[in-house]
Amino acid sequence: MRPTHIEDYLVNVRKGQWFGWSDSKNKVYANLIVHDGGSKPTEQQCTDGLKELQDAWDAANS
Amino acid sequence: MALTRLGLNQSINLASNTTGTLGVANGGTGLTSGTTDQFLKFTGSTTLASATGGGITEADTWRITSQFSGDAAPITANWERDDTDGNGYIGSGMSQSSGVFTFPSTGFYRVTFYHQFSGMTTGPGTSSNYVQQEIQYTANNSSYNDATEVWGSIFQNGAYTMTVSSKIFDITDTSNQKVRFSTTSADNSIYTQGNTGKNMTYATFVKLGET
Repeated sequence: MRPTHIEDYLVNVRKGQWFGWSDSKNKVYANLIVHDGGSKPTEQQCTDGLKELQDAWDAANS
Repeated sequence: MALTRLGLNQSINLASNTTGTLGVANGGTGLTSGTTDQFLKFTGSTTLASATGGGITEADTWRITSQFSGDAAPITANWERDDTDGNGYIGSGMSQSSGVFTFPSTGFYRVTFYHQFSGMTTGPGTSSNYVQQEIQYTANNSSYNDATEVWGSIFQNGAYTMTVSSKIFDITDTSNQKVRFSTTSADNSIYTQGNTGKNMTYATFVKLGET
């Protein structure tokens, strides 16, 4: 499936259950929480990372 | 049971001519009254008793709300009770903290864990393509054993599949007997699917009866 959400990028940042959402029904960057004490990607990194995944998917499926 | 003396050709009026209870040996129940929503059960050869039950008293569904990559042994975060699309649960339900599930009361419970995942690596036959899931059980609220262990495989990036494991637990001590869930894979090489709007990786808990 074509990546559509920043969560598709976040799962590739590092492995394990390192992130979650303060409101799981509203998965926007402002609600992104970190479980493992590690670094939190910036919103720009999430946006760019999702676009990179989408571009790669589009190129592979065009 | 006492019976009022009757005249000739007089029929017995059970409402006015009798008192007390009619014993089981004589075709009665041994009871003077019943309790709403309870039913009769045999407790021996001579007596009956009203008993609670006759249906499912506890049933619950929990799921993880977000996907993740690699292992989670155990799965500690992002659990929620199913709360969408005609959801519901019976009884007081399970309680959960950091992925550890506590049973609401003693009894026999069927616990089932559904693990949906997709592949991160490619190449059929590579050594990285095994995926393991477990229902883990503790009897002392501390050390856990793998009560179930189920294996699956995924051979292609973007392919999806699911494994399921289930076990009936006899829970006699809700303070110490608990369960949690775990998944591992070769080389941390899968995405576990989770969603807050539908059940993808989830667990169900059904109380089957009293212990």
